[in-house]
Amino acid sequence: MGIEPGRLQFSWISSAESTKFVEVVTQVTNAIRALGPNPDFTKKLAEVA
Amino acid sequence: MKIIKIDKSLWAPGLNQAAAAYRLFGPVKEKEFHSFKPLTNGVQPDLSCLNTRLSPKAIIYPQSEVMFDYSLDESREDHHQMREAAKDYSPRAVIGIRPCDAKAFELVRLNFDTPDYQDPYWLKAYESTTLIGLGCESPCSACFCTSAGCGPYHEEGLDVLLADAGDHYLAKVLTEKGAKFLAAGGWKTAAVKEADQTIAAMRQTAEKKITSFVPTDNLRSLPNNDLYSATFWEDVSFACINCGTCTYSCPTCWCFDIQDETRGASGVRMKNWDSCMFPLFTMHGTGHNPRGTKLHRVRQRFMHKLKYFVDKYDRGIQCVGCGRCVRLCPVNIDIRRVAVMMNGFAASGEACAIE
Amino acid sequence: MLSYAEKIREIAGRLLASGAVNMVIGFRQGTIPMMNEPHFAKNPAEAAKLVWDSHCGINLANYLTDRKEKIGIVAKGCDSRNIVTHIIENKIKREQLVVIGVPCQGMVDKRKIALKCPGEITAVIETETQVTATGNGFSQSFDKKDVLQHNCSLCIHRNPVIHDELVAAPVEEQKGIDRYADVRAVEAMSPEQRWKYFEDLLSPCVRCYACRNACPLCYCPTCFVDESRPQWVGKGQDPSDVRTFHFLRAYHCAGRCTDCGSCERSCPVGINMRVFTKKLEKDCLDLFGWEAGLSLDVRPPLDVYRPSDPNDFIK
Repeated sequence: MGIEPGRLQFSWISSAESTKFVEVVTQVTNAIRALGPNPDFTKKLAEVA
Repeated sequence: MKIIKIDKSLWAPGLNQAAAAYRLFGPVKEKEFHSFKPLTNGVQPDLSCLNTRLSPKAIIYPQSEVMFDYSLDESREDHHQMREAAKDYSPRAVIGIRPCDAKAFELVRLNFDTPDYQDPYWLKAYESTTLIGLGCESPCSACFCTSAGCGPYHEEGLDVLLADAGDHYLAKVLTEKGAKFLAAGGWKTAAVKEADQTIAAMRQTAEKKITSFVPTDNLRSLPNNDLYSATFWEDVSFACINCGTCTYSCPTCWCFDIQDETRGASGVRMKNWDSCMFPLFTMHGTGHNPRGTKLHRVRQRFMHKLKYFVDKYDRGIQCVGCGRCVRLCPVNIDIRRVAVMMNGFAASGEACAIE
Repeated sequence: MLSYAEKIREIAGRLLASGAVNMVIGFRQGTIPMMNEPHFAKNPAEAAKLVWDSHCGINLANYLTDRKEKIGIVAKGCDSRNIVTHIIENKIKREQLVVIGVPCQGMVDKRKIALKCPGEITAVIETETQVTATGNGFSQSFDKKDVLQHNCSLCIHRNPVIHDELVAAPVEEQKGIDRYADVRAVEAMSPEQRWKYFEDLLSPCVRCYACRNACPLCYCPTCFVDESRPQWVGKGQDPSDVRTFHFLRAYHCAGRCTDCGSCERSCPVGINMRVFTKKLEKDCLDLFGWEAGLSLDVRPPLDVYRPSDPNDFIK
């Protein structure tokens, strides 16, 4: 829909894979932080018409 | 009644001149169809437009409109207080609005301007707006304005009525507001004495072009409960998909819903158009919905427009015959057909129930 | 195709007279050009009002949801696929239905025709291959194939996939159709271009929900946009809310959409929201070899797990 690549990620982590979970979450968080906020899809407070 | 002659060569320059004192709106074609848009940077209204796809009601009554705002930021003096949203109510003029859409504002006013309550948002917007109407030379085949207490050259609700007389417009000044706008455009050539007859003749010609007629004469005397219980509602409502096309395109539908939206420590309270077609419209906090089926909802729409309104205000039907709902309904539910059924309803026997 | 109406009336009359069904759902003559109204007939006299022409684009499967009667239903190819989907999703039982199949040659697009005519169209007549629109001072004829709804011009399942009656011999299916040129064009855009493209596409939306409500798939008792606890989407005209509605609605149709075109046809402001559902349709075909509503015996891909399901997208 026009969201830049990297902002959406999928992983498959078993409930037994705690280490992988930590790794993936850390990696995703860092990647998203690096991209910064997505101003396009941020709803602004409604403007006074 | 004063009539001004506006030579077409003076039309665009005059509008540009008026734009200094007014925010102008007019029909503009984008992609497939016309809508009323702000005329900025010298954009001219397209007066060849038969009518806009959606009604111009949003100019006075936006689909989403902020009423209040507030902030919880304690460094502000007015923190934790609802403030009426500051808005621009400087003069505006709507160029080329059709008489049906102008009359619609008069009907909507009955709701927003009552002896007990006045909606400040609607009223201020309405009062700051001058309506420059354009007589309708080519009514569409689904238009039935003359049956709805209106007409192609109807003046109610307008400040100026323009009639297109070939190389010039005849501008009939109907209110003080209208006179002011024409002065702002620098148009002041008085038309010849016979101009009034010219407009009357154009009006007659246009009225003759209306091909749709809707009977409304019995609606008032029909017993409410009988009409409500009529068996034809199942037939009328079957096709309905309960979308908001009819109500959102309608110039006279006025219902809204109030929503709060917050962002961090500040927020707004806004009103948004609502539609009696939506299941949420009458949903109670308990989860009970007194209009729980589409039959209830469709019946409500037609009963409101063609019966309850008629009874309550004695101003005719809540419809100006613009034909938009007829043209746009995705499943071809036609208010003209429903009006025939309602008006012809006979409590016993239901002679014309399904035809 | 012009003989279909008579055959539909005959079948409907017979089904109602014999008591095989309680009602027949079809179309009756519209009140304006290029429009017909979905209609139910409960007796042979009402069945006589059923019509068929190139303006029956609304998907009638939408009118079956949770009905309890025995119903005869007139069904084009796409309608029949949505009837299959309805049966698979337990919204109606096969035993309740007598499907009156209509081999379809496509529905004409009233907007396309209106855009090609110089004024308001007051009457439209058609022959097997042509439609003629007349209005004040003009009369124009078009080959039907040039003015079909976009989805109909790409259709490869014109014949009903299930039917108990058939109003005519099956029509020839279109071959060698490139169904997804428009989707590929969007896929080829950069994310920024795509964002802008969808912004333009959705800018006229007034959130009347005609697209959602005309869709046979959208039968949730409460749609996510109507939920208030929690409220998932704002109710105003903020572009992010409008976009959220359209995208989530499309996702809910993944693996179910038959590209019947009812959504686009119903839109009062002419938005082609099919571009969203078509992308999902294409993905289902590419990834799972799936086309919705072709068989009562195969579960949809989002319904079942197969070890061979593609999972390259998971990191």
